[in-house]
Amino acid sequence: MIKWLLMLALASGSAYAATPRQILDSLVAQAGPASAARGEKLYRGKFSGGKTADSCTACHTDNAKAVGQHVRTSKAIDPLAPVAHKDRFTDPEKVEKWFKRNCNDVLGRACSPQKKADFTAYMISLQ
Amino acid sequence: MHNDYRITWKHLLTLLLAVGGSTLLITRAPAHDQANFPMPGGKTYVDECGSCHTAYAPGMLPARSWRKLMAELADHFGEDASLADPRRMEITQALELLASDGSQATVRMRRINAAIPANAAPQRISETGYFKFIHDEVRPSIWKRKQIGTLANCIACHPRANDGRYGEREIRIPQN
Ligand code: HEC
Ligand code: HEC
Ligand code: HEC
Repeated sequence: MIKWLLMLALASGSAYAATPRQILDSLVAQAGPASAARGEKLYRGKFSGGKTADSCTACHTDNAKAVGQHVRTSKAIDPLAPVAHKDRFTDPEKVEKWFKRNCNDVLGRACSPQKKADFTAYMISLQ
Repeated sequence: MHNDYRITWKHLLTLLLAVGGSTLLITRAPAHDQANFPMPGGKTYVDECGSCHTAYAPGMLPARSWRKLMAELADHFGEDASLADPRRMEITQALELLASDGSQATVRMRRINAAIPANAAPQRISETGYFKFIHDEVRPSIWKRKQIGTLANCIACHPRANDGRYGEREIRIPQN
């Protein structure tokens, strides 16, 4: 009875949860080894392909452990680094959704699995 | 036996909380505070519509405005905010139900609605007559503060806006 209730409680909770490490592992499985240094270059780089902003830092700031601000709506954005905000990189569907949106906003195209793996490795490396 | 009961109740509570948190149950604003707006229950609305900006209260616009907005998410004020069904449908229905012309509209919501021409489907809350009227004493220099930036950044000054709460006692205007 108790087991059954527990399972129901779990099943009715929303998205499937993972750890940042598991999310990185599944990206590495598609892309090959990840480099936090390359990830930092993507994070800090200036690009011209997108319509909304020229860099990730435009909304997430120079410091991924700090609170960011959306360039268009001015809304505060919780830090991206998992060390500063425990929910980050724990929901694969959410991570995928924002890579799709934000890479398009900044680069004008999707990020390759390699870029996503590097970026995630950089975020996890921040302590 | 007694032990069994205790454990079962604890888990029942967990179950109730989990179920309550994962469906779009409707939360009702208490009638005594007229600056409370009913919000779609659960996390879906705030997750999907509250990440780029405030999760706006449905009661700020009529159903026809929300229907139009939800049908044009691929070009949402220049952003791609598209959502797959059934989530899009689910949110559209919740917005329509709690809209300013919905059957459960509060007195304040009906006033908001009365100020919107019947042949218009405004997409911006910040351009409606009610919004302008209620904020006409907020100076332009305040809107331009770094942490506020735009009129539509409700949550910067109304910290509980995502719960539909705009009461005067809860207003906190950022100083810079
Ligand atoms: C126009 C503003 C903006 C820009 C530019 C931007 N982001 Fe974001 N990003 C957001 C917002 C808003 C969220 C969701 C915030 C939330 O959930 O609190 C987000 C979330 C994310 C997430 C999800 C993390 C998680 O697990 O919650 C990732 C990954 C991400 N962004 C990557 C990027 C990358 C890579 C770039 C640069 C190519 C970038 N972002 C540029 C606004 C932006
Ligand atoms: C990817 C980011 C993003 C997402 C997701 C998003 N929006 Fe927006 N929204 C914007 C931007 C950008 C604006 C225009 C801001 C500006 O120009 O002031 C906007 C404006 C609005 C406005 C008008 C605000 C005003 O009064 O001026 C409404 C209403 C709105 N959004 C509703 C929604 C709803 C409902 C959803 C969920 C289905 C949603 N948004 C999801 C980015 C987003
Ligand atoms: C610059 C800060 C600021 C922003 C941003 C802001 N408001 Fe307000 N709001 C105020 C202030 C100040 C008042 C009180 C006005 C008065 O009583 O003169 C107020 C009052 C209100 C009230 C009436 C509260 C009551 O008790 O009668 C509502 C409803 C409201 N705002 C909704 C919104 C919505 C919706 C948004 C975003 C679309 C928004 N506000 C954005 C500062 C702000």
